[in-house]
Amino acid sequence: MLKPAPHTRFISDLHLGAERPHTTRLLLDFLADGARGAAALYILGDLFEYWAGDDDLDGAPQREVCAALRRLGTAGTRLYFMHGNRDFLIAQDFAAAAGASLLADPCLVDLHGRQALLTHGDILCTDDTDYQKFRRLVRDPAWQRAFLARPLAERRAQIEALRMRSESEKSMKTAAIMDVNAQAVEELLRRHDYPPLLIHGHTHRPGEHALDVDGRRVTRWVLGDWDASGDCLYCDAAGCRRLPVSAERP
Amino acid sequence: MVRLHTNFGDITLELDAAKAPLTVANFLEYVDSGFYDNTLFHRVIDGFMIQGGGFGPGMKQKSTSAPIQNEADNGLSNAAYTIAMARTPDPHSATAQFFINVADNGFLDFSAPTANGWGYCVFGKVVAGTEVIDRIRQVRAGSRAGHQDVPVEDVIIERAERC
Repeated sequence: MLKPAPHTRFISDLHLGAERPHTTRLLLDFLADGARGAAALYILGDLFEYWAGDDDLDGAPQREVCAALRRLGTAGTRLYFMHGNRDFLIAQDFAAAAGASLLADPCLVDLHGRQALLTHGDILCTDDTDYQKFRRLVRDPAWQRAFLARPLAERRAQIEALRMRSESEKSMKTAAIMDVNAQAVEELLRRHDYPPLLIHGHTHRPGEHALDVDGRRVTRWVLGDWDASGDCLYCDAAGCRRLPVSAERP
Repeated sequence: MVRLHTNFGDITLELDAAKAPLTVANFLEYVDSGFYDNTLFHRVIDGFMIQGGGFGPGMKQKSTSAPIQNEADNGLSNAAYTIAMARTPDPHSATAQFFINVADNGFLDFSAPTANGWGYCVFGKVVAGTEVIDRIRQVRAGSRAGHQDVPVEDVIIERAERC
């Protein structure tokens, strides 16, 4: 086998849950094969459709996914996890079970010699003011402590109700307010001294955008969501490119 | 019958339209439209199978038609030198990519209509050119463009045609 150049992979928005076992299997395949050999794998949020708390680690996809992540870590790939708007309650017990480090959002990293700013992406959707209000509430440590103090079954039921409401509200919102706000993107890049790369997920609008912010060039990479096939950003010293997660196989 | 003209030689396939009608019709549509011309055998694992029909040179993935119903419950087995459809973990997701078994891979056969048991649909067999396949399965392969088991030197299906 030829040894690939040192490289890093990014994925996000898998939305794993009981409803989509095929996506879980696609990820397990990817972790056992496609992701092998990467120096690091970054999961930029919404790995799970929801997360009721780290005491829910024994549930169906969670256990398998943690074990597969741990195996990849043992094989030499460093694992990083950033919260999404679905699985923001993931905490240290998950990180320990998966062998992953939790990242703050946003977070600046060195990517094979270039600075890359990583975020899940929901902080950039500032046009959706209702969502931003909700986000401030659920990211509040006091709110989280109170929520996690409730019994697991009650938390699950409450999240389920919330998801239903979110789905019906989403259908009422225009497509535009659910995408990133250009000023919010520029502001974030300005605050971090114009890193050449911005990588995020969340919007399910995979793409590569060349930006000019105050005369500085930045490439904004948007990761795609997973379903029957997946999307992965592959970066090495030569640059980044999006790759389909090799879906078709025996 | 369909002939694959590759840069390693010709492979002739006999398709089983009686046992796998939808799969054969789907495969022939891709053959007739020229979809497979200039695609790669992009995943080669000796002792297992050679897979192709979805990527052009440079590992550029081609866009396909709609996925088809899995017909793996047709009694055909993934024996050496049979051709079957590749797919995603969703059992009914085969489009253009196919593979040729280079060993008896009975574990790929249908066992139950479940996500894990559907298996991979065999729809034909190689009737000429097994020596070409034997040369292809032995090529050196490695990681390329983020994919594993990609031949170091391209194995190209230059043209696919009915014969």
